[in-house]
Amino acid sequence: MGYTRKITIRNYVVEGFLILASLLVLLPLVVLILGSFKTSAEVLSFSLSLPETWQFSNYVRVFQEGGLSRAFLNSIWITGVSSIINIIASSAASFILARRETKVSGTIYMYFFMGLIAPMSIITTIRVVQGLGFYGSISSVILIYAALNTAFSVFLYSGFIKTIPRALDEVAFLEGASVFGVFFRIVTPLILPVNATVAIMVFMSVWNDITIPVYFLTDSSTWTMPLSIYNFYGKYSRDWNLIFANLVLTSLPVFILYLFGQKYIVSGLTAGAVKG
Amino acid sequence: MKRAKNLYSYYMVFPALLIYSIFFVVPAIAAFYYSFTDWRLDRIDLKFVGWANFEKIFSDKTLILALKNTAIFAIVTVIGKNLIGLLLAVALNMRLKTKNLLRAIFYSPSILSILVISILFTPMLRTEGTINSLLEAVGLHSLSQAWLTNPSIVIWTIAIVSIWQSAGFQMAIYLAGLQSISQEYYEAAKIDGASSWKSFFKITLPLLLPAININLMLTLIGGLKVFSEVYVMTGGGPGNASQVVGTIILRSFGEGNWGLGTAVNTLLFVVVTIIAIPLLIFMRRKEVTE
Repeated sequence: MGYTRKITIRNYVVEGFLILASLLVLLPLVVLILGSFKTSAEVLSFSLSLPETWQFSNYVRVFQEGGLSRAFLNSIWITGVSSIINIIASSAASFILARRETKVSGTIYMYFFMGLIAPMSIITTIRVVQGLGFYGSISSVILIYAALNTAFSVFLYSGFIKTIPRALDEVAFLEGASVFGVFFRIVTPLILPVNATVAIMVFMSVWNDITIPVYFLTDSSTWTMPLSIYNFYGKYSRDWNLIFANLVLTSLPVFILYLFGQKYIVSGLTAGAVKG
Repeated sequence: MKRAKNLYSYYMVFPALLIYSIFFVVPAIAAFYYSFTDWRLDRIDLKFVGWANFEKIFSDKTLILALKNTAIFAIVTVIGKNLIGLLLAVALNMRLKTKNLLRAIFYSPSILSILVISILFTPMLRTEGTINSLLEAVGLHSLSQAWLTNPSIVIWTIAIVSIWQSAGFQMAIYLAGLQSISQEYYEAAKIDGASSWKSFFKITLPLLLPAININLMLTLIGGLKVFSEVYVMTGGGPGNASQVVGTIILRSFGEGNWGLGTAVNTLLFVVVTIIAIPLLIFMRRKEVTE
């Protein structure tokens, strides 16, 4: 009795403390959301007060004046295509690397693994892309993102594919299937959950990134959401209500993705962090 | 058996290998070469200049400051994100009524872009901003500060914003680790009369090593690569007070000093690798012996 009681009291204390701490996380986000519905004079207090009248027009203005529809389409295209390329190429590579236990495959795995550690070299990457003749284009950025995420994806896929019994492949091979057939018909369906994890992780990191666009997207017609916000932020530095509306709009797609993909993020973290 | 191995054709590795090599490895290797040249935007003929770029880095006050700031940022964020993340995870692994809601709240900032967080905090950190008014409201006038314009604390401020954003992500990894620890260990320890502190240090921490390992790596590497927060909140200012390696690279790129910029990048590459690889090997070994 005494022991359980002590535990209960301790839990209440911890819970109370955590609720207080969670306010530190929530308050800035509430300031952001409320601010996006205020007038530009009202928002300047950056406070928790409710807007006097809810200015839904902020969102309309941001969409029209910020050229957001273009940026939105660019972002969707860049994140979507780079995630798909990354998923197909990394899972195919990991399948072979996980199955062939030779020195060569071990070396290739380490070669990929280095990418988790080493920072990219931006200026020389620009030169490579210039040399190939497509600097500044959306496709260059897509390929760069696919390359940058290869290490992480191969790391996740290899760990998972090793847990799939090899006997499954062998039966298929005996029945005359090719390696492509085995990969697409047998392995791909089994690694669907990892595909979801990788897709969500790559999508979120690419959608939120600003470093690559700053260097590689030189023409405003190719800008992504974060880059056009940064530009908007410079231009409308007095209208914090519009800036906040813009920030909320950018965050919405990843927020929705997060709500639907939550369980894959957690399982991905478990696979990568705990088993890897 | 040999035939069976050859069934797994290396052709399927090539697409990933190709993209990764062209857009990541080739530039990284090229950078080693170019950091020893006087490569500039306005000059086509390259000259090999030996260690000149590196000597310049270590004799230039701004560049030294950038290295120092990067180190401060990395150390402060590694400690802050992991300590807070671990505390949150241990607390939220207890049987609490609001545990799921609280987990979601603490995790939420890490799904947002650093850009969004940085723009949001910029006005709140001003002298007349939200943070100072809150401090004054609770009677802490003395702590009230010009958070982003005081050169001696600006890098610390940016580090704290970064901790605010990502401690919840570290928490999620620690939670995943905690949940993989079997309850039986704790029950056995309780029977043996071990205190909760003792079971934390003797059971939780050792079994959490894989999660600690990955979190330390992620926060350390992320910290050394810092760019976006500084770029958005201060642009390296006031003056050069918050320059980091990432913003120096952007500046040398803008000025056309490509050889120097690449040398800074190479230095970062070497530093990250020198710190990360032994850490990785050390942690792996520790995990195995546990």
